Amino acid sequence: MSEMILDLGEDAKEYGRQALRAFEAAGGDQLVQQAEAKPDTRDALVGAVLNELGAWELDARTDADGLEAAAALCRSAGYWALPYPVAERLACPVDLDVDGLIVVADNQQAGAIGGLELRWAAVTSDGVRSDVVGRGVSGPAFVTALKLSETDRNGAGDVALGLVLPCWTLLGMLDRAVELTIAHITLRKQFGQPLSAFQGVQFQLTDAEVERSGLEILAKYALWSAGAGKPEALEDALALRMSAIEAAEVVFRVCHQLHGAVGFCDETTLSWLSRYSQPIRRLPLGLSATRDLLTRRVGRDGLTGLYA
Amino acid sequence: MGPKAAELRRELRELVKAHVPEGFLGAFTDNPADLETAQQFCRTLAEHNRLCLSWPEEFGGGGASVWEQTVVREEMWAHHEPRGAQYMGVNWVGPIIMRHGTEEQQRKHLPPIARGDVIWCQGFSEPEAGSDLASLRTTARSDGDGWLVSGQKIWTSYATMAQWCFLLARTHKGEKKQQGLTIFLVPMDDPAIQVRPIRCMMGPHHLNEVFFDNLRVGRSDVLGEVDQGWSIVQDVMAFERVGIARYARCERLLAAAPSVLGDRWEDLPAELRGRWVRMLTHCRRARLLAYRVVSLQSNGRIQPGDAAAYRIAVTKLDQDSAEVLMDIAAEVSPDDPGGRWFLGEAEDHWRYSQASTVSSGSIEMQRILLSRAMLAAAK
Repeated sequence: MSEMILDLGEDAKEYGRQALRAFEAAGGDQLVQQAEAKPDTRDALVGAVLNELGAWELDARTDADGLEAAAALCRSAGYWALPYPVAERLACPVDLDVDGLIVVADNQQAGAIGGLELRWAAVTSDGVRSDVVGRGVSGPAFVTALKLSETDRNGAGDVALGLVLPCWTLLGMLDRAVELTIAHITLRKQFGQPLSAFQGVQFQLTDAEVERSGLEILAKYALWSAGAGKPEALEDALALRMSAIEAAEVVFRVCHQLHGAVGFCDETTLSWLSRYSQPIRRLPLGLSATRDLLTRRVGRDGLTGLYA
Repeated sequence: MGPKAAELRRELRELVKAHVPEGFLGAFTDNPADLETAQQFCRTLAEHNRLCLSWPEEFGGGGASVWEQTVVREEMWAHHEPRGAQYMGVNWVGPIIMRHGTEEQQRKHLPPIARGDVIWCQGFSEPEAGSDLASLRTTARSDGDGWLVSGQKIWTSYATMAQWCFLLARTHKGEKKQQGLTIFLVPMDDPAIQVRPIRCMMGPHHLNEVFFDNLRVGRSDVLGEVDQGWSIVQDVMAFERVGIARYARCERLLAAAPSVLGDRWEDLPAELRGRWVRMLTHCRRARLLAYRVVSLQSNGRIQPGDAAAYRIAVTKLDQDSAEVLMDIAAEVSPDDPGGRWFLGEAEDHWRYSQASTVSSGSIEMQRILLSRAMLAAAK
């Protein structure tokens, strides 16, 4: 993958569409609700469909096509709020005998892996790698505290992809949230006309779309940067993560507002997407901490661009 | 973008360095030397076959790729558009005349644009017709073999220095307001045209009112078909879809800020340095969205919403980055190395950015286009 990508290849996009259909057939929006009721069924609920899709045969670390397919799969998983850490598993380092990788903060180690019996590695932004040797009680959206045992300090090259792929999952969530919102405002009538006829509603929708489309293009850039092994791949990943969290704030704020009260209800998909977007937005670092780390890392050099 | 585009970028930067004085803030200042700098720079570009790079070879252009054209847009805007007002002639007036003009019009108008000799202005907006352009009232009344044009244009950039005007006027009252409009190519030195400058915060010699008092125009001045001007207006807008590369100037100024502050950069509030990084990320976002629009446009797959989302992102970037630059400027002294340059740039950028969500299609129009496209796609 040498040339910067403005769009995923056709094969990856087709794979993403296949995954969307497969997740729908496997239960679609019901999956996350079923998993929440019984977290230890997460693997049973979606393990088979992920196997059928060949998810764990994708080589996101060393194969450019595999990397694009992995990104497309994460996006499709996000679309259905799939109750499974697809991105974390696809980010698995090649040199460790584990099932997946969780990027963690120095001062707080947690991951959305409650209810799953898998072998995990963790890595900090400085490349310190650990085995996950214990975990706490599973909280909202399967988040659990992790107990770590340091193994080595060779994980610097693992971090960028570990940050980028979850942003693709979040992108899929935003795709869906916007789609659901368009459907809602087209259907719902007030004052004798659909909400979509009100310019105040239309303009809010564009706020969401500008953020969503901006995240999409940065996600492609950071994917390319990580895949090409650019020296600045981690900074690119952090820039993506910062934008992803900001985009999620805007998109979910708009989508909740335009859904009105029904958007909070368990019977409405938006409410599930919204609450299950939280772990990705919060872990390993929230918005301020992500921006702070990015600022410290780029120093006075800034991001690679036209004039730097 | 490829090696040709990279080489072109290097070449353009060298030309700017050699021919444009440091601190140049565009051609429309109170200093007449700035206009002359721009005029001379256009002739220099023409001599290097770089002025009409994007034109097809059959019209004497360079047949450049869309990516080379993108580089030109970026480098020119980043350096305060040293082509001055002539970028309009090169970017869309020439190409539109190629598409819709008669052979005679092409012979008459294209060579002076290609030589860097001529400035065009666009006679579109009127006091009662801004975003709602088709409501314009300037009228071309049939008179013998031709027409007499009367009315008023406003916010007309570069009218005091332009030799020609790309004028939109009403020739008939159609069933729809978009019908019955005609494009005329008219010389600005006609005594029936009066220009009144409007001094403004974006630069003293930029905006104008233009009054037409029975300006006589003939058949040979009509571009395309009489009464069919609206379709040409749509073409003009398509040429301007990507528009100026605002992100390039934002990025250049943001990237320059640490070197101006030197060691004091690290003393800036962490919150301000965080905002600076955020703006650099938004520059990247806008640039990539622009590249996506260029790519989609070049392979004919562009949808109306694609360009609108980019335009919203880039115009907001312009304003947001201007606020951050002014915040950084608060820490800069004119006596710092490069300090005077930076303060001038930041002030100019801030002033100019105030108009970015208004000019060339307001942000509200972009929002209407985008939301319409989103709702239509879902049907």
